[in-house]
Amino acid sequence: MEPKYVSAEMRDYIVSMGAETVNWCMQCGLCTNLCPWRLVPGETSEKFNIRHMQRLGQMGMEGFEDETVLFACSTCGMCQSNCPRGVKIIDNVRGMRASIVGAGMAPANLRPILGSAHANGNPWSGPREKRTAWQEGLDVPTFGPDTEYFLFVCCHSCYDPRSTKVARSIVKLLQAAGVSFGVIGQEESCCGESMRKLGDEELFQKLAQSNIELFNSKGVKKIITTSPHCLWTFTQEYPELGGEWEVIHYTELLNQLVEEGKLSLKAGQGKKVAFHDPCYLGRHSGVYDPPRALLEKVVPDGTVELTRNRESSLCCAGGGGRIWAEVPMGERFGELRVTDALDQGAQVLATACPYCMNMLIDACNSLGKEDDLEVVELSEILADSL
Amino acid sequence: MEKKIGAYICTGCGIGDALDVAALAKVATGEYKVPVCREHGFLCSEEGRALIQADVEQEGVNSLVIAACSPRVMVDAFDFGPDKVVERVNLREQVVWSHPAEDEDTQMMAEDYLRMGITKAKEMEPPVPYQGENLSKRILVVGGGLTGLTAAKEAAAAGYEVVLVEKSDELGGYTRNVAKLPPLTPPYEEPTAFDLEGLVGEVTGSDKITVYTGSQIEKISGAPCMFDVSIQQNGSQAAERVGAIVLATGAVPYDASKLEHLGFGKHPDVITADQLEGMFKAGEVKRPSNGQPVNGVAFILCAGSRDPEHLPYCSAACCVESLKQAKYFKDANPEMPVYIFYKDLRAHGTYEFLYKQLQKDGVFFVRGTVTGVDDDGSGALAISAEDVLTRAPILSESVDLVVLATGMVSTASLGKPYKAQEPKEGEEEVEVPADTILASNLLNLEYRQGPEIPALKYGFPDSHFICFPYESRRTGIYPAGTVRAPMDYSRAMDDAAGAALKAIQCVEMTGQGKAVHPRAGDLSYPEFFMQRCTQCKRCTEECPFGAINEDEKANPLPNPTRCRRCGVCMGACPERIISFKNYSVGMIGNMIKNIEVPEEDEEKPRILVLACENDAYPALDMVGIRRAQYNPWVRVIPVRCLGSMNLVWIADALSSGIDGILLLGCKHGDDYQCHFVKGSELANIRMSKIKETLDRLVLESERVRFEQLSITDYGKLPEILDDFASDLEDLGPNPYKDF
Repeated sequence: MEPKYVSAEMRDYIVSMGAETVNWCMQCGLCTNLCPWRLVPGETSEKFNIRHMQRLGQMGMEGFEDETVLFACSTCGMCQSNCPRGVKIIDNVRGMRASIVGAGMAPANLRPILGSAHANGNPWSGPREKRTAWQEGLDVPTFGPDTEYFLFVCCHSCYDPRSTKVARSIVKLLQAAGVSFGVIGQEESCCGESMRKLGDEELFQKLAQSNIELFNSKGVKKIITTSPHCLWTFTQEYPELGGEWEVIHYTELLNQLVEEGKLSLKAGQGKKVAFHDPCYLGRHSGVYDPPRALLEKVVPDGTVELTRNRESSLCCAGGGGRIWAEVPMGERFGELRVTDALDQGAQVLATACPYCMNMLIDACNSLGKEDDLEVVELSEILADSL
Repeated sequence: MEKKIGAYICTGCGIGDALDVAALAKVATGEYKVPVCREHGFLCSEEGRALIQADVEQEGVNSLVIAACSPRVMVDAFDFGPDKVVERVNLREQVVWSHPAEDEDTQMMAEDYLRMGITKAKEMEPPVPYQGENLSKRILVVGGGLTGLTAAKEAAAAGYEVVLVEKSDELGGYTRNVAKLPPLTPPYEEPTAFDLEGLVGEVTGSDKITVYTGSQIEKISGAPCMFDVSIQQNGSQAAERVGAIVLATGAVPYDASKLEHLGFGKHPDVITADQLEGMFKAGEVKRPSNGQPVNGVAFILCAGSRDPEHLPYCSAACCVESLKQAKYFKDANPEMPVYIFYKDLRAHGTYEFLYKQLQKDGVFFVRGTVTGVDDDGSGALAISAEDVLTRAPILSESVDLVVLATGMVSTASLGKPYKAQEPKEGEEEVEVPADTILASNLLNLEYRQGPEIPALKYGFPDSHFICFPYESRRTGIYPAGTVRAPMDYSRAMDDAAGAALKAIQCVEMTGQGKAVHPRAGDLSYPEFFMQRCTQCKRCTEECPFGAINEDEKANPLPNPTRCRRCGVCMGACPERIISFKNYSVGMIGNMIKNIEVPEEDEEKPRILVLACENDAYPALDMVGIRRAQYNPWVRVIPVRCLGSMNLVWIADALSSGIDGILLLGCKHGDDYQCHFVKGSELANIRMSKIKETLDRLVLESERVRFEQLSITDYGKLPEILDDFASDLEDLGPNPYKDF
């Protein structure tokens, strides 16, 4: 076997692209064992080993650029939140992807996604002028100088037909509670969270700058996000670029409104409902209780917990750009999640993230369990209980 | 001493409910005519003690038989002064807690134990402590490096006079060559400056410490508190009398010329860690090949260590030492490529922070085996290795300097094996495996057994490394620092303080005629009835501690202050001339003979258990504390060490009709558990000779069994005891029973 060459220059380049803590790793391998890829069979599971990938990164050695390896991580954070060395593993993955994507070598299947985000301000190939199409039939206020909250609707819920229901439900709930909110509209761009995770740093910077200028020019002070991904990047990544607002996920706000008596929800759902913690709402943002409290209001005594919940929740596989990956049936994390829900006797699996909803619906369908388990976004149940 | 025995039966803790105490008392008063016999419901209470004290004062009772709980508990409660004999009869743990109440066999067991106790009390005498002459409490420290200096400083700080002997002309040892120590203070990320001169100044400036530099130990004779030391100093002689010795001669780096496969000797830029340290100390770090500055460096760890071809053991300090040196380079130039090739990185405790910091500094850590150190064609060196973590061969970038972290070799291991005196013609071959003693020219002891401390694996003169650190197999001599085990600076300093404390304990205890570890405080010591000695040398050969010298006629010359009071000599002596005031072949033999052996048709077998009092006996107590049950045929006698077992006891037992004998000793072998190092092993060797005795008596050899037992094995004990009983039942009763 020909020796592989260690390269300080390559290692330092990866570090400069964002993998700042790659050298901290002591290669204990806890990350690999906690990785959801260990729970499914198949080629990606066999090839992708996060410990090994970081090893290649810290030695500046070739091999990590293999697309099956480099783009496998769903950035769920299970490894990172348990790392004994405090290695920021997701940043390292991002840095290593950036060293390839930044050099113009993005994988073929991702190019249309990144291209659309560049051209249209969303990764879903939706025309910019259709960004507000989801509002049809609703009287959604426009954000103005006297509006308290700016409602930022995730691109997924702007364009995906199934997902628009999430945006519509949230609007109904906010209106029922009498919240002062509004949207800006076509000028809004994708938050860029997933673009950055895919390694397209330049694209992220462009999207973020555009949003920051827009929001600030409109006098935005407080933001409600529909998606935990937007929530996370607005709170964790935008501030150092000049975007500093009070940002809240809709579940947190609705829960406050219920507690303050401004929003009343009827108990109605007779079914057993399980809640799936989205990685970016739970592990990444620490929001576990508000969605549960809301659910408890509408299905008192009807909620069940999945065995892997809260900090130990299992990823749907939609983060880190994996929502655009083609994964063979039998290798999808979502299928494990659907099985978890059925094992707990749930009839409804609710989540609070458009990506999770998307991934879990696909998984439920691929298992042929759509008659046994209904996958919904939490806002939908809540809106039905107004 | 005019004996007056008092027997005291406690009826508390369930004893009174389980036994017929009146019948028991009758054994004392009737069979043995014990003049004073009392029972009490709570004997260890103030009231119970007062009862006994009153008899001592008013009745003149001076030999007490306390039939109550285990001798391992309530030791202070039943101490009535050094001039009183106390024998404890264990009715609680080993009778009523482990056998059914109100049962005929349980009662017989209790009565036998009382018989045995009274028998022993009749023969025991209060020990008279040994007092040597011209006792010294000074402490000799051999070696003036970091460990020796620290030991000297600590002993002096505790108020003891110290004699420090250093081979070279300057104090400081290896540390003199060291630029900085690994981090010792928070945040544990930077090498620490160490004030060696300050330590040397404290030692040389102390009026309690006499320093000999440029000196060697020519000879040490004597025993604890009576060691006579001859010191050779630059041609002149000096004599010192000391009480105890700390051996702190340190270690030397492994000979790198044997590491050609790592490039040493082939490339001038491959150097050892101590050479690099010297460069930093001198402030001149340059490539040896051309005198140019170093712009890239690779450390190869385990250079010689953990390698069956070289040093099979881990040298413990090199990982952290290399991390420290890597930090020197990174501090000087953060951009410099630094590689560390390792097998396992052992940076324990707070050294983890240093390791972490160096990872953050961007050091390349490569786990795996180095397969080559080669010239890259331009005069620089590239290292190839099998990287475990990528499962691939890798090649480093070129570096200017390769540093081999060579392991540590104890100075005690640097000598040829000392040849024990060959047996003279006509004498028996030595049957006991001799200790490994390497003539390393450190202490030059005038001991019959050899000039240095016996070595364990790899030549380290340690004792049991977990249970008894700083102990050696020579009483009063305590190895500390890298001479006894590989260790780093801070541990060596701790070691120095520990060994100094051991030495202080030794001189204090010995001064009072008391034993040191592990029978610390014991006042008894073996006495030899020389008129009957046959000069067989068993005692001198078998003593695990080299306590017995011999004269030219092969008469044993005991050194009581070297003695640990284990009784191995007593077990070894075929003439039974070695006895303690309170422990002898005759006493135990009479205890055995006083066990009542029922006639054959009663179908009540008897099993003698000789149990080591360090592990097996407490394990038997544990069985009772856990209320586990075992057969009532056993009669247990605790022995100081199974090595003190004399074969005559086996003959005594079998000829009195006892059906079987179980010997419970500690684990022996490489990772022995025996408190007296070789006692259990010696008992096992003697076992092989039991067959002779049995053959003579025409008895099956299965009647004697040896089991190795650790205190944690107590759960297995009922099964061991019952299996033996059942095997004896298969053999049938001892035919000598009805004689």
